[in-house]
Amino acid sequence: MLKDITLGQYFPGNSVIHKMDPRAKLIVAILYIVAIFCAQNVVCFAALLLSAFLLILLSRISVITILRGLKPIMFVLLFTAIINVFLTGDTTEPPLWQAEIPIFSLVWRPTIYRAGVIRAIFTSIRVMVLIMVTSIFLTYTTSPITLTDAIEELLAPLKLLHIPVHDFAMMMTIALLFIPTLIEETDKIMNAQKARGADFANGSLVKRAKALVPVLIPLFVSAFKRAEDLAVAMECRCYRGGKGRTKLHKLQYHARDIVAFLLMCAFLAGIFVVNYYNPLEISL
Amino acid sequence: MENILELKDVSYVYGSGTPFEMVALKNVSVGFEKGKITGVIGHTGSGKSTLVQLLNGLLRPQTGSILLNGEDIWQKPKEIQKIRYRVGLVMQYPEYQLFDETVRADIGYAPRNMGLSPEEVEARVKEAAAFVRLDESLLAQSPFALSGGQKRRAAIAGIIAMRPEVLVLDEPAAGLDPLGRSEILGGLREYQRTCGATVILVSHSMEDMAQYCDRIVALNHAEVFLNGTVDEVFSRSRELAEVGLDIPRIARIAIALQKRGVPLDGNLYTVPGVAKAYLRAWQEKQRRSTAAQAGEGDHA
Repeated sequence: MLKDITLGQYFPGNSVIHKMDPRAKLIVAILYIVAIFCAQNVVCFAALLLSAFLLILLSRISVITILRGLKPIMFVLLFTAIINVFLTGDTTEPPLWQAEIPIFSLVWRPTIYRAGVIRAIFTSIRVMVLIMVTSIFLTYTTSPITLTDAIEELLAPLKLLHIPVHDFAMMMTIALLFIPTLIEETDKIMNAQKARGADFANGSLVKRAKALVPVLIPLFVSAFKRAEDLAVAMECRCYRGGKGRTKLHKLQYHARDIVAFLLMCAFLAGIFVVNYYNPLEISL
Repeated sequence: MENILELKDVSYVYGSGTPFEMVALKNVSVGFEKGKITGVIGHTGSGKSTLVQLLNGLLRPQTGSILLNGEDIWQKPKEIQKIRYRVGLVMQYPEYQLFDETVRADIGYAPRNMGLSPEEVEARVKEAAAFVRLDESLLAQSPFALSGGQKRRAAIAGIIAMRPEVLVLDEPAAGLDPLGRSEILGGLREYQRTCGATVILVSHSMEDMAQYCDRIVALNHAEVFLNGTVDEVFSRSRELAEVGLDIPRIARIAIALQKRGVPLDGNLYTVPGVAKAYLRAWQEKQRRSTAAQAGEGDHA
């Protein structure tokens, strides 16, 4: 049951995107997010969808997997779309549709304008592309550990301000490493308590919350114990923070990273240009 | 003999339909005799842990059925909790399940869940603590203050307190020193004898199996490989060795002795058993040689 939870699932692979430097991926992803929020008209959104599709092809991750990744946000997407359709009003235009509900219409008449429909579609595309592209770059093709490495490298300048970047990165790495272990452990403890008659599925909210106490206490105890063991093991191997620590796998930029970065800059520039000219005259 | 718990054509597959598909049990049919200690052996990944979780309804078989006293345990899925009280399961490293403020409260968790009166709960806690040889003075302490072996015993007592018809234990003695092992397993044997309970014991230690079990079920590659009395199973040492399972060291010594022409019979898989058999063989040899000497004397 708990094993179904996937927190940033990494699919090992050999595609161009897999091989990119994680720092480059992070920068490119950030530029792409800027592009998503700058896009204003129909041509821009077509370009976003097309580029997202191309990225899926490049990453060689099945479309089904990526669409499955969108499932959890489907509700949010639908909700925002509905709000947008009904609450965006451009009263200079005649409405597309107006509800006629007796009595209720005196209070509020649900009305749909053309602008509302367009906004709903654009917002949905924005969120979808945002989730798809960031997960392609940062979760599906980059292992959490390399990603933390990249964050550490990119934030290295902050060390000058005496911000302990390395320590934060190390904490993040450890946290990520322990997620699967803790999930497995929770599963085990839940089973052990179920064997003693614990009931997590039935009863009132208060009752169900109380039923979790016998799971949480052992889980905390073992998490603290693990943390202590790990700290001792790290000290045994002379860990003293980031100072003077060298890396086995040093990150290195390659030609493909520079190409990706330049392509992304060109894409962003293209979005700005198209925004300015607005060729098909459909925009927000 | 009467089977209290029975698996009929049970299969269980993890992650079916994904690339990570793994068959844990394949058409397993096996019965567990009432009032006996049955050992389950098999190496890592042979399906032992899946089997024990199926027995008390933590997992639901994908095909086949599990019968408790002849009734399918999944007949009323909403009442599976009642089955879990009747088939008590002690998971691997059960000390991780301890959570309450005192040992007394922790052992009483399951009986409280069963809805028993406070007096009844207290009686059961005392009874269960006595079975696992947990001193009554420890009941008022925090479970986290106990030693490793005491924690393990408290956790097992937490299941025994349900007075289950069948007690299933997954590696109850793993990671304990020899004294701790014999105390826990000996306590279980005593529990089974005095209460007439049925015990199912999963273990890697063939020595423990030989010493404490009446019957043995050997699993191999998700299937039942051998099922019989301890004698029957350990007499097929070659087959066990072929699938990578061990037999007790003392049984290997007995086989080596037999190969050298020492006539051993009887229980040949525990140290006392082999010692007795060896003594018998030696006495027999002595008797024969004196008889032969006497015979020679007659001729002369």
